[in-house]
Amino acid sequence: MGLRSFIFKRLIYSFILLLVIIMLNFAIFKSMPGDPIQFLMQPWGKESPEARRVQEDLLRTMWGFGDPIEIQIVKYIRNLLSWNLGIAFTSRQPIAEVAARKIPYTVLLLGASTAIAIAIGVLWGILVIQRRGGLFDSTSVAGSLFVGALPTFWLGLVFLLFFYSILHWFPNAGAFPREWAGNWPTLWSSSGNTSPTAFHMILSLNTDGVLTLLGGYLHHLFLPLITLVLFFVGGWLLLTRATMIETITEDYVVTARAKGLKERTVLLKHALKNASLPIITSAALSFGFLLTGAIITETVFTYPGLGAWIWDAITFLDYQVLMAIFYIVSICVIVANIISDLLYGIIDPRIKYG
Amino acid sequence: MIETSTRKSKLAFRLSRFLRFLKLLVSKKKSAFGLAIIFVFFITAAGAPLMTPYTALGEDPSSPLFPIGTNTASPVWLRYFPTWLGGDPTLSEQMNIVKNPGLPKLTSEGGDWSIDVEGSGVSDPSIRTDVGYPLPAPPGFKEFTQNGSLQIMFSRTKGTFYNGTKIHIYTVFDYPYTGPPGRFIGNIALLVNGSTHEVEKLVKKAVNGSLTFVMENVTCLDVPIVVRIYLGQQGGKEWKLWPCPYVDALNIYPPLGFATDPVTRQPWGIDKPESGILAPGGWIIARDSAATKGGHIDSDSNSLVNELTEFGKESAPHRLVFTNQTTYIYGIEITFLDQEDSTKDVSTEVFIDDFGLRLYGTSFGLMGTDHHGRDLFSQLVYGTRISLYLGFTVSIFSVVIGLSVGLAAGYLGKAVDEILMRIADVLLVLPGLPLLIVLTAVLGATIENLILLLGVLGWMGFSRMVRSQVISIKERPFVEAAKAVGAGRFHIIINHILPSVASLVYISLATAVPGAVTAEAALAWLGFFDPVRMSWGRMLHANFEANALTNWWWVIPPGLCISLLSVSFIMLGFALDEILNPKLRLRK
Repeated sequence: MGLRSFIFKRLIYSFILLLVIIMLNFAIFKSMPGDPIQFLMQPWGKESPEARRVQEDLLRTMWGFGDPIEIQIVKYIRNLLSWNLGIAFTSRQPIAEVAARKIPYTVLLLGASTAIAIAIGVLWGILVIQRRGGLFDSTSVAGSLFVGALPTFWLGLVFLLFFYSILHWFPNAGAFPREWAGNWPTLWSSSGNTSPTAFHMILSLNTDGVLTLLGGYLHHLFLPLITLVLFFVGGWLLLTRATMIETITEDYVVTARAKGLKERTVLLKHALKNASLPIITSAALSFGFLLTGAIITETVFTYPGLGAWIWDAITFLDYQVLMAIFYIVSICVIVANIISDLLYGIIDPRIKYG
Repeated sequence: MIETSTRKSKLAFRLSRFLRFLKLLVSKKKSAFGLAIIFVFFITAAGAPLMTPYTALGEDPSSPLFPIGTNTASPVWLRYFPTWLGGDPTLSEQMNIVKNPGLPKLTSEGGDWSIDVEGSGVSDPSIRTDVGYPLPAPPGFKEFTQNGSLQIMFSRTKGTFYNGTKIHIYTVFDYPYTGPPGRFIGNIALLVNGSTHEVEKLVKKAVNGSLTFVMENVTCLDVPIVVRIYLGQQGGKEWKLWPCPYVDALNIYPPLGFATDPVTRQPWGIDKPESGILAPGGWIIARDSAATKGGHIDSDSNSLVNELTEFGKESAPHRLVFTNQTTYIYGIEITFLDQEDSTKDVSTEVFIDDFGLRLYGTSFGLMGTDHHGRDLFSQLVYGTRISLYLGFTVSIFSVVIGLSVGLAAGYLGKAVDEILMRIADVLLVLPGLPLLIVLTAVLGATIENLILLLGVLGWMGFSRMVRSQVISIKERPFVEAAKAVGAGRFHIIINHILPSVASLVYISLATAVPGAVTAEAALAWLGFFDPVRMSWGRMLHANFEANALTNWWWVIPPGLCISLLSVSFIMLGFALDEILNPKLRLRK
């Protein structure tokens, strides 16, 4: 079986997975407490019971609650596949719109921290392998195990305690300074030109404003970022160490050493290259958890991404939002799975499909 | 005979093998560390009732209606901590001023209370064991259960007249701390009885749903009393703790000098006996109970109504009362308002019961208190139980599922394998935490639900390992030999295949615990916690909710406990892996 049919098979499989997730969502939706009609009736005032009943029936037919279950399922699948995620219980806004506002923050936070953690973790892992068996090795491994076992939110709380409550170095909430709301730093000096071209815009860029903007965002990003990096780095360190240990006992590494190559060259050129396969694929996989990984950390720092949204949804038991987030996150994971499968095949020529 | 002896020797062999295994575990650094910590946690969980007198939520089991400390109190040892490390020598500790509030004895009888009488007509106070508030004592009030009260009797014959006779009953105590207490709560129950007369009075009453004034005959005491409860520095400023009840009637009307409508405005401090019996007259009580919410003499409530103007805007009277490290006085002053009336002998008797005062320190216990005044140390200690219980049940649950799925898929193969492994694949791909969040939101966040969910969502990796092991084992010659002899499927699985995956089971049992513990903590942190249980995660959630991040003694210990427990199980798992998979031992 070739690569193409493998991809096709994976896509089919992923689509089935997506359908399973939607069905699961549907089952949860059906079993959750409360009548959706009552939710839809909320704006309906204090009209007479008869009028209410008429309206309720109208809504029921309109939203399809009276349909047979299989039609409801089909409609549900169609809606979710077309990104129609329903209305948030509390804010009464379309969930897809709110999600579009929240996801960039999460992606920024998680993308940055995952990238940094991978870089640091892999480098550290190589350093550890060079000094394997020593004190540096054992403390690094024990340290990563311990930090990895810490609850992320607790790590965040401790950072907040030190850097916000005691030292006042970093803010405790939000993604940008609160006083910016309605008073954003000016990025462009106004030139009076009503329809500026791209060229004009670049020329009239206000450096101070840009720097303030960047600084404000980074200042707020720092603590959650550091928390996540610390939390992730141990895993990468351990993974690199484990795969490298596996490879340095292989015959070709022994041969390379016997040739009289420098230890550095042996490690980087021979061992790391061959050990990099699981590292790269799990890096791809880890980007699938781009949206979930920060849920807990975001709640600690009230960072306005998916995590803070989940926190609010839990406080008001907004099932719609929780289910939508679950759906969005699942899609992200599925896509990452496909990508990592493909990467595996592209990078490692030994892989046979089938 | 032979049968039993072989069984015995088999057992002995198994035991010795197990002991050797244990010795190996203890001799390894990793597993010794892990086992030691797990052991400590086990001792903590089992000995929790010995380590703390309070409940798992950190409440006092003997009087649940009283807080056991000030809200967000600091730990006691912070008093002796150097100031540059955040120590505070001005912190105060808990003080029970009255030893036995249930039975107010005089100092002459070995009790707390001294007596001063101004004027005449009052006979010597004495203990009455047959009168007491309440009968029976409300559940949960251990310290008030002793029956009996202090009787004070005022009487005169007709023709005489003692105006303004006063009696003081007080206790004097040293306040040893430089800082004020966090709050104080006092309590008292009074019963007034005596000779009476009828008086026509204007009474505000609800007639046909509207309030009107009606003239009514009211039974009044011949000698009404005025009560004042005070607290202050001895010989210095005394603060009145309670608006003076002016008691002139045996029924509830008018309970206080300023109370106008007993129906709609239930003045605190005055209470019909909870049983509803008016027989001995109404007990006037000041105590925090369900029936008299806010009826205690409390530095937090507005029970210092009459003094509020003097207190100004300061909303914390305990800070104004306890300014110095000196001697303080707490007591009651009863004034008998005799009226000139020579037609008959008159008398009024007052029974005092449950007279006490508690100073709540700004520091409490080993770890201070949470925002509801509950002991944090008890919460931490009892939290061990929840984590261990959850961790072990989840790991057993998921291992049992994973083992059966893995065995079935691996041994039966074909369609069964395909179906089970596809299910495992799907569950593996689903993002765990969001799924957990959605499911706990729908099912409810009890510990049992959590165990179920974590078990059902946590078996996939293990079942894959078991499956691959089984697939490689079932082609081995000894399995074929067993098949050839005619052994059944079940027999082969139990006797030949199960032992080969036993090491996987041990390792997985150990490594499944930390995930469950941290998952529970994460969910509790997000707000999904069992409302009747206090877990480590919920402690952190409560801290965040109370906005008490700077109370680091509240933040640090639960997180450290979670990670210590997780790390110890991870270490144990590693050690088991090294012992049971000898291939790994060669690699270094």
